[in-house]
Order: sequence, then structure tokens, then C-alpha cells
Amino acid sequence: MEEVKQLKLSKSILDMKFMKKTKERVQKEQEDAEGKAMYSNEITDEMKKSGNIVFTETSIYHCRNLIEGRLSFGGMNPEIERLMLNDFAKKMQEAEKRKETDVSDVQMAQEYSTLVNTISNKFSGRKNKNKRKFMKPADD
Amino acid sequence: KSEDKAVYPGDVIKEIKSVKGVTILGPGLKRNEAEPNTLRITRAGKLRFKPPNTYWVDHAQKRYIPKRGDLVVGIVTKKSGDTLKIDIGGSEAASLSMLAFEGATKKQKPDVQVGDVVYGKLLNAHREMEPELVCVDSYFKAGKLGPLSNDGFLVSVSMGLVSRLLDPDNPLLTTLGKKFPYEIALGMNGKVWINGRATKDILTIIRCLEAAELQDDRVIAELCRQYK
Repeated sequence: MEEVKQLKLSKSILDMKFMKKTKERVQKEQEDAEGKAMYSNEITDEMKKSGNIVFTETSIYHCRNLIEGRLSFGGMNPEIERLMLNDFAKKMQEAEKRKETDVSDVQMAQEYSTLVNTISNKFSGRKNKNKRKFMKPADD
Repeated sequence: KSEDKAVYPGDVIKEIKSVKGVTILGPGLKRNEAEPNTLRITRAGKLRFKPPNTYWVDHAQKRYIPKRGDLVVGIVTKKSGDTLKIDIGGSEAASLSMLAFEGATKKQKPDVQVGDVVYGKLLNAHREMEPELVCVDSYFKAGKLGPLSNDGFLVSVSMGLVSRLLDPDNPLLTTLGKKFPYEIALGMNGKVWINGRATKDILTIIRCLEAAELQDDRVIAELCRQYK
């Protein structure tokens, strides 16, 4: 099927009342084309093709998940301590959780070696249990 | 802690991980205009990456460069009409409007004099413009910001120490809190304001900060564990 050729509507037709919607559409298309022509130097075709990554800038507070710098301990400033209950307490709890779940390698090795011994005692059998050696009585 | 490599200003980072086309950049990085989807390093240090999509550079620099969103401690140097000029240690003094405090109106302005210390948040900080501070959040509540009392002491530390102390894993501040009551305001510009019940306590804290400057984080954690 052949494509219908786009007719360029004249200004007097667009000015008619029943052509209002079409007029707005045509004007929007014209403005978009103008904008594209103006910014074609900055937004290059290369940028559009490579699926542009949007870079947001932020401070180191969000990068490292730091606590806010205003602190109070021991009731020195009750208002600040009340505000600290919200974010400071949460961040400390998260840090605690992270420390608990992380078992160090040395600890793991130690616990595993003692675990092996206890399990082996379980399966050592009846013959070896409480095995007493015969002791010669002293020559007294 | 993957990808900890030493980088120098001018280096280009090529493979960038992003989530839904968005990557978050911390201090020390900026977009590379020459090639799309690559980054250019602006500070010398170690490149750090936090999954899924955050990159930044850990550097130890002495000069503070104002960055948007930082909480800083500033000293009022000039009072002119409706705005205050605040020294935050950057190349230019920041401006703070007298109306950017909680409960401030044109008729009732806050009682802030030249020489006072304020804790504020940087609203915007471009290279070409004067930085702007506010002492109030978007709901017009002061929260933790605002003028700091003149009973406290102000000291300068390095900016690296401030980021180390504000890490939730670092036990120094909480351990000191268990020993005696005090309050502290750490500014990302390296200025620290400390207030306590006795001058002796404040001097102890200042000594601790000076010592922590030169010590490794693990040594600090070990010492704090002993003091529990």
C-alpha cells in the first residue's frame, strides 16, 4: 500500500475553528523540529544511540552512608538527642547487624576444628568409651 | 571493597555500571564531555565503587571545595541587610539569608551576630557562583541546623578525619559519649564545634581528635573496645 503524502495545510485553513486541534498539533511539530535543529550540536546522534547514562551528583554523605554530623551524648542537648533517635539509631543498628552476620575467617576455622572433634566423639563407638587401662598395683 | 585503584586527575573511566540508565557520582568525578558514558577524574586518590551504581574518589585534600548537600560549620563574618556572609573555609564566603532559619519572618529575624558559629546545609555550590547556605530543611524546620551556642569551642581538623569519624562503624564518638556528656557538630569543611559540661571534657575531646588524625581506624576501634 502506498503511503498517503502529508499535505501541508495553509494558514487560512488552520485558522478555522474546527481545525483548532490540528493547528495545535502542527504547531507542536514545528516547534519540536526547531528545537532539534538548535540542539543538534549538543545532543549528538552518538549520545542518543549509546543509550545515554544519566549521571547524578551527590555528596560523600550518601556515597559512604555516613551519619549526620550533629550529635549529642549524655543528655547535653535533649533536642538533638531526640532527633538522633530517628536516623542515628537506625544507622547504628544497621552497622551492628552487618558486624554480627560477618564471621571472621579465623573464628570460623577455630569453631570448625572443635566441631570436628565433638562430632567424632559422638561416633567413637561403645568399645572405646570409658576405656580403662589395667594399672599394676604399687609394690607397697 | 572491589575496584580500589589509584587514579589521577585526567584519567578516564570507561566501563560504568548503571541501574536503569542512572549512575550516581560522588566527589572527585565528573562527566566526560569528549566521550559519552565515560567519566573523568578530577581529584587524585582511590576510586571507590558501591554496588549497584555509585562511584566516588577517596582523597585527602586540605582545601575544602563546597559541594551541594554538605553540612558545614561556618563563622559569620559580615551582616548586611538580609543576608549574612559566612566563612566556610572555601575560596569564597557563602551567603546565608536571615530568613532561612526556623520561625524567621521579616519582622522577627534570628539573633545572630558577627563572630557566631552556625551549622548549615549547602543549598547550591557551583564553581562560578557564591555558595548558598540554609539553616532549615524543605519543611522549614530547623532540625539539627542553626546557630551554635557561644559556649562551645571551634577547632579545625582535616576533612578526611571528619568522614572517618562519621562512618557508623567508627566507635570513637560513641565511646567518648559513654565517658562524659558532650555535644559536637562536625562540618564537612573540616571545622568541628564541641561543647561539654566542663572545659576539661572539651579539651579531652580535642586531644582525642588530634590523636585520631594520625592513627589507623583499626587501632582506634581496638582502643575503644578496651574502654567499654
